Amino acid sequence: MKNIMIVLISLILTGSIFADELNVVTTYPYIASIVEQVGKDKVNVFALAKCEWDPHTIIPKPSFIAKLRKADILIINGAQLEIGWLPPLMRQANNSKIQVGTPGILDLSKHVELIDVPASISRAQGDVHPDGNPHFHLDFKNIPKISTAIAHKLSEIDPVNKVTYEQNNNAFLEKFYQKEKEWTAALEKLKGTKVIEYHKIYDYLLRRVGFQLVGTIEPVPGISPTSRHIESLEKIISSNDIKYILQDVYHPDDASKYLSSKYKINMKIIPHDIGSVSNTNNIFEFYDEIVRRLIGD
Amino acid sequence: MKKLTWFLINLSILINVNLSAQTEQQSGDNPFSQSKFVPDISFILDVSYLYRDIKNDDYNLFEVPGLIHSTLEESAHGHEHAEMNSRSGFNLNYGELVVASTVDPYFDLFGIFHLSAEGFGIEEGYFLTRSLPLGFQIKGGKFLSSFGRINEQHAHYWAFANMPLVYKSFFGSHGLSEIGMQINWVAPTDFYLMFGCELLQGNNEISFGADGFQDISGSIKVSSSNAPNLYTGFVRTSIDVDNLIVLAGISGAFGKSRLNHGIDTDAPDGHAVYADTKILNANLTLKYIIESDRDITLQTEFLNKTTKGDLYYKDSIGTTMKGDINKDQSGLYSQLVYKLSQNWRIGFRYDLLMKNEIVRNSSTLDLPDFMPQLSSMIEYNPTEFSRIRLQYNHDRTKYFEDSHKINNEILLQVNLAIGAHGAHSF
Repeated sequence: MKNIMIVLISLILTGSIFADELNVVTTYPYIASIVEQVGKDKVNVFALAKCEWDPHTIIPKPSFIAKLRKADILIINGAQLEIGWLPPLMRQANNSKIQVGTPGILDLSKHVELIDVPASISRAQGDVHPDGNPHFHLDFKNIPKISTAIAHKLSEIDPVNKVTYEQNNNAFLEKFYQKEKEWTAALEKLKGTKVIEYHKIYDYLLRRVGFQLVGTIEPVPGISPTSRHIESLEKIISSNDIKYILQDVYHPDDASKYLSSKYKINMKIIPHDIGSVSNTNNIFEFYDEIVRRLIGD
Repeated sequence: MKKLTWFLINLSILINVNLSAQTEQQSGDNPFSQSKFVPDISFILDVSYLYRDIKNDDYNLFEVPGLIHSTLEESAHGHEHAEMNSRSGFNLNYGELVVASTVDPYFDLFGIFHLSAEGFGIEEGYFLTRSLPLGFQIKGGKFLSSFGRINEQHAHYWAFANMPLVYKSFFGSHGLSEIGMQINWVAPTDFYLMFGCELLQGNNEISFGADGFQDISGSIKVSSSNAPNLYTGFVRTSIDVDNLIVLAGISGAFGKSRLNHGIDTDAPDGHAVYADTKILNANLTLKYIIESDRDITLQTEFLNKTTKGDLYYKDSIGTTMKGDINKDQSGLYSQLVYKLSQNWRIGFRYDLLMKNEIVRNSSTLDLPDFMPQLSSMIEYNPTEFSRIRLQYNHDRTKYFEDSHKINNEILLQVNLAIGAHGAHSF
């Protein structure tokens, strides 16, 4: 009994003593990749969601609770993307540092401009996000805002390393702006191209490239395609010169494949997060690969 | 629909919200508008159509010997049940109203109300602490105990329309729902490890009781408990092995049983129990994630209940006698659910009541001790807010006056949710 008590007490204490590196938990891999760039060796970062999963419906694994229990900072995408899976995990983690309203939580959606904010809300329109489209990280122009918000947050929680975080962020931004010019130049020729996407996940990217979205495979967000909807898409296809169907890695691709082969439209798998296709191991490679896939045949 | 809206409006007024200032424009005009503080509100409706090859009146007489009294006998004991999926024909199982919000930096508050034909009941009403240090959390109020795995889950989260039989046998159709306090602690380990214990009033209709009783002549008297009457303890741990999630737990509930089944009436079969009851649980959940929106889950729980104490009963001329009672009963369920896609799930469940020893005054009762039920279901979820489930139960646990009654039932269940998005735990 005495031994058990000693083990328990030391377990309780270890959580608070070894706090050399800042424990940062992020909901999605892309956030973790930016945190790595800004925090470098001062942080220990872990992303909860796996890159090949639908970001809306992450299985709330109990192991996530253990990660959140030890987090100093929790960085979320926000705009209600995590609403279906994160709140109970946060409650179960018993970590007062990362509750809503405490400085230990950073909501990235508050640092970017959201598009498609619905004027009225009804679930008859599907699984709509009342704050606007939450997939803002697909526009690379939002990344500097995100990395700067992360640098500020890391500095706020860990003021000793403030200068390091600022320097890391500046170095990251310098490199990122350089790459941004390359991506913008490469995508220039695609302006005005008409596309179809499965889910409204690429809208920020479409806006950046200047793509024209003419339809989605989902009839409304979160609802699987119906044959009636596909028929109406076919009408749109026959009266429009559509070049690409953009498909993510986690939704079934049979509808996209069917339309692609019937109407000879190029179907492109576009990664929605870091690691969801090969050669996307960090935030730079992620956009490199998106650009490569968009401009390639 | 209109009625529901009206009800929600009334509720909002009750919780001190100035609804006249609901719209943005009006709240701009009203310096005292509190409309931004409206808690998360949701409403869940569960209805079903049941077909059973036994008449309702006959079914009400059936019992699971030594474990579940017949519906008729239950109402004689004063337990009015809003039991789910109980009658052939349409069933309004429940309307569940959930109100939840953060109180202040220190507490979250949850209210879960069940509206049924019998009335308006507080299913749960509890607070959770938000800011305790070192990984501790306290829960207090009325809540579903964290004993076991399925007990704290609400019915709309279950993979089948009815509660596993072993839970129904040991805790009744509301599960272990108690007034009290819980403290739990999450270890700062790399894998999930959680310890918790609860101090509960202990007023479960089947297994625990805090209210005393006396017989009609006043010759025997068992006084009521002056303090919480039931303790539980639980440990849960989980690891991931690649795409396989393993969650295991053990728990125990230890309390006093003061169960009065008519000892205070002139009914000849009136009896009562004053005993110590211990219920132990071991559970295991394995979930294999095939890909996004496709997974297989195996969930199994084993429970054992022992009761030891005094039995009060009436002899042939109605005099109250004191004897002793010993119970040792076990059961398990095991379910396999395959999520095929975003919309479809299928599942199988095997329920078994496997040990059923009751010794009354040193004589062992002759009770069946192998009582299985097989269930299968197929479910279509148009969205995460709506579910249509078809379930078949082959129930071999029912008896009527020593004759075995095999019961087959098919039910079609519809479950819909509106309002705030209630995410679920694993």
